[in-house]
Amino acid sequence: MNALRSLLLAGSAVLAATAPTLAAPPDDTIVVGLSADASTFDPAQISSRDNANIAKHIFGTLYQVTFEGEIQPYLAKDVAISEDGKTYTFTLNEGLTCDDGEPLTAEDVAYSFTRPADPDLKFTGNTPGFVYSTLGFAGAEAVDDLTVNVMIKEKNSLGLGMMSQVYIHCKDSYEAMSADDAALKPIGSGSYKLASWARGSEVVLEKVKDPGTFQNIIFRIIPEASTRTAELIAGNVDIITNVSPDQVGAIDASGSASVKKVSGTRRMFVGFNQNPVFAQDEGGAAIAKAEVRRALQYAVDVPAICAQLLGTECERAASLVNPPNDDPSIEPYPYDPEMAETLLDEAGYPRQADGTRFSIKLQGPRGRYLNDANVIQAIGQFLNDVGVNTEVELLEWASVYSPLLRTKEMGPLFFLGMGGVTWSPQYDMAAFATPDAAVNYPSWTEPKWFDQWPALRNAATPEEERTIINSMLEVFHEEAPWLMLYFQPDFYGVSNRLDWTPRRDEEIDLFYAKLAQ
Amino acid sequence: MWTFIIRRLLQSVIVIIGVTCISFVALQIGGDPTYLYVSERATDAEIEQTRKALGFDRPLHEQYLSFVGKLVQGDFGNSLSYRRPAIDAVMEALPATIELTLFSMIVAIGLAIPLGIFAALYRGTAVDGSIMTMGMLGQSIPNFWLGIMMIMFFGLYLRWFPISGHVPFLMPLIQGDVARAFSQLPQALYYLIMPGIAVGFYSLSRNARLVRSSMLEVLNQDYVRTARSKGISERQVIVRHALRNAWLPVVTMIGLEFGFLLGGVVVVEMVFSWPGIGRLVFNAINQRDIPVVQASVIVLALVFISLNLIVDLIYARIDPRVKL
Repeated sequence: MNALRSLLLAGSAVLAATAPTLAAPPDDTIVVGLSADASTFDPAQISSRDNANIAKHIFGTLYQVTFEGEIQPYLAKDVAISEDGKTYTFTLNEGLTCDDGEPLTAEDVAYSFTRPADPDLKFTGNTPGFVYSTLGFAGAEAVDDLTVNVMIKEKNSLGLGMMSQVYIHCKDSYEAMSADDAALKPIGSGSYKLASWARGSEVVLEKVKDPGTFQNIIFRIIPEASTRTAELIAGNVDIITNVSPDQVGAIDASGSASVKKVSGTRRMFVGFNQNPVFAQDEGGAAIAKAEVRRALQYAVDVPAICAQLLGTECERAASLVNPPNDDPSIEPYPYDPEMAETLLDEAGYPRQADGTRFSIKLQGPRGRYLNDANVIQAIGQFLNDVGVNTEVELLEWASVYSPLLRTKEMGPLFFLGMGGVTWSPQYDMAAFATPDAAVNYPSWTEPKWFDQWPALRNAATPEEERTIINSMLEVFHEEAPWLMLYFQPDFYGVSNRLDWTPRRDEEIDLFYAKLAQ
Repeated sequence: MWTFIIRRLLQSVIVIIGVTCISFVALQIGGDPTYLYVSERATDAEIEQTRKALGFDRPLHEQYLSFVGKLVQGDFGNSLSYRRPAIDAVMEALPATIELTLFSMIVAIGLAIPLGIFAALYRGTAVDGSIMTMGMLGQSIPNFWLGIMMIMFFGLYLRWFPISGHVPFLMPLIQGDVARAFSQLPQALYYLIMPGIAVGFYSLSRNARLVRSSMLEVLNQDYVRTARSKGISERQVIVRHALRNAWLPVVTMIGLEFGFLLGGVVVVEMVFSWPGIGRLVFNAINQRDIPVVQASVIVLALVFISLNLIVDLIYARIDPRVKL
């Protein structure tokens, strides 16, 4: 017994003497707890938000979207757009370099744009998979050391914003790299360089140039939400993402951190699928009528859903465009179930003997968005309350719901969130760029909306553009292809030692984070 | 003995083929994984291009045969998420899981044996009652919940142990950096304590009960009574006579325990942010990263098969009555 006790005491003493101290990060270091690791640092392969949030500190871009949603110069000092809108001529700042010391010239920028588009390299990241298709990318060429042209197929109001998402890197270093090296050993052009990457554990970045307040940024990978919360409260990390609403109280009460809530740019809605495949379906036929779609807008108590299920106050969204690019004169539909019932009666759908008006299926994903399963069920109940017999069906996202969305055969009522931006109303409206657009999930064909696109694309002045946008948003409000819900709130846990404000667009920007006074 | 080993290795090949086939089909049942690798705004043409780039445009049997063909050449294919050889990702994560599994084995077996013996020796006393109550609790508490509770109490409230994370020991050792490995050993152990207990607590509880029953049975045997009647000290009776005879079932238990614990680390690795193979597989399944899932399953199956083989060989070695 004595021997065992001695052994335990000795073991404890050794551990106590050699164990690392559980102290807060040093003042020159900021630690961020992310739910998922980066999968690659090849700029042409990066696709997930967590991956991009790390990469944006390693790679610079020609322009960048600010916290307020303005597009401002970064590696470039200015841009000139040709009269036909198809050529963007960027002038680079002087003295730019990549992490390895190689000067960064226009040739490198042209290479950064053309490399992701190379079909032989089979890249599947965000740049080749989404940015270039939205942009209509046609090519890039260096004019001289500091001037580069980026060409697109036709005039595009989203041009500069989309080009601001392309990561710039040096040609010589990347041409010499294997695919493995490009994924694991990035040579960037941004403020920080990759110091180490312990896969699944942490990514450490080290500052090499301005902008950047902290000398080191550590991204710790902590998949479990409650563990992230515990690490934040213990003071081991400074920022955590995706705080679950049920943990907000614990963090706020900890005295060491607090939760910052932002109304994100992701638009949450219930779509009215007007795909002809549902024409014979009782519910599908009903929601093909604008009167019914308008009536149902009054049936759902969105502020109650936010307060009860998302743990925050929120205002109901009035349009598909994020503030401040929306039309403030358009008011969101109020919760008024009596009005909903009256309008449904007028639309030719009175309550039957069994108390219902028509039956319809509401489909949605489980585990994709904040508390989505409960939100969908609540919406189903609100619709039942006004006599719409709603069958709720929750589906797995990746293998079941996502393919249904692609073929536009979900619903006919379907719950979805679509990413938006702060820098352009057209980006948010592009979900309905054409009747056959891949993301026109409701298969909406309203001519009053689609006929205005040519005029919008060719608007001569910002004022003219704004007038057309407001007119289109009015059509969207009246014709209601979506049952507007809310802009998804995002919750960030932030240590009290830090002065940092989260962005609305799910990007984590640490360049200007600083220690609290 | 060699016949036995060859027979077992041939059986292993059949097991591996079965494992790859089942996991391949199971992952494909979920539908086309292409959609996980394209933007929500990707056009049909872009989706098709990605499908071709990932090889999902080919018929299922062709994909499987191509996979098996490469597998026999040692090529597990490239991870769809990490864009690098799947086997590299697996081998990178494996040492962390082995560390956790070995540590939890020490908890599960190293503690279970003395606890079981104490409970048997002090049968019917408070010591026995406490150990058996702990055994019952340990078998009732899910390991992820235990992990979260340990984080809250020992990590957050008492600040005794790190809440999450990992300090590698085996990886630098494998890479030949012995000095670094051993300089990190105390830290590695420190980070292992909570996840190791969370993984091993169920087995510890079960094994303590098993050892207790086994010891009670042995202690009632004639040869133990004879030993005592000869005036041998109680310690010698326990160590020389009782424990020696209890050793065989313990060896079997160790072999089975490793496989059991290996399977139990997945959730605990998520809770403690442990960068092991369980977490890798969890993410790979979510991402439908078929090459990584396949490589992980095969590596784990090989580990399990090898261990069972080793246990059988040791068993035959220490018990001459067993013929292979």
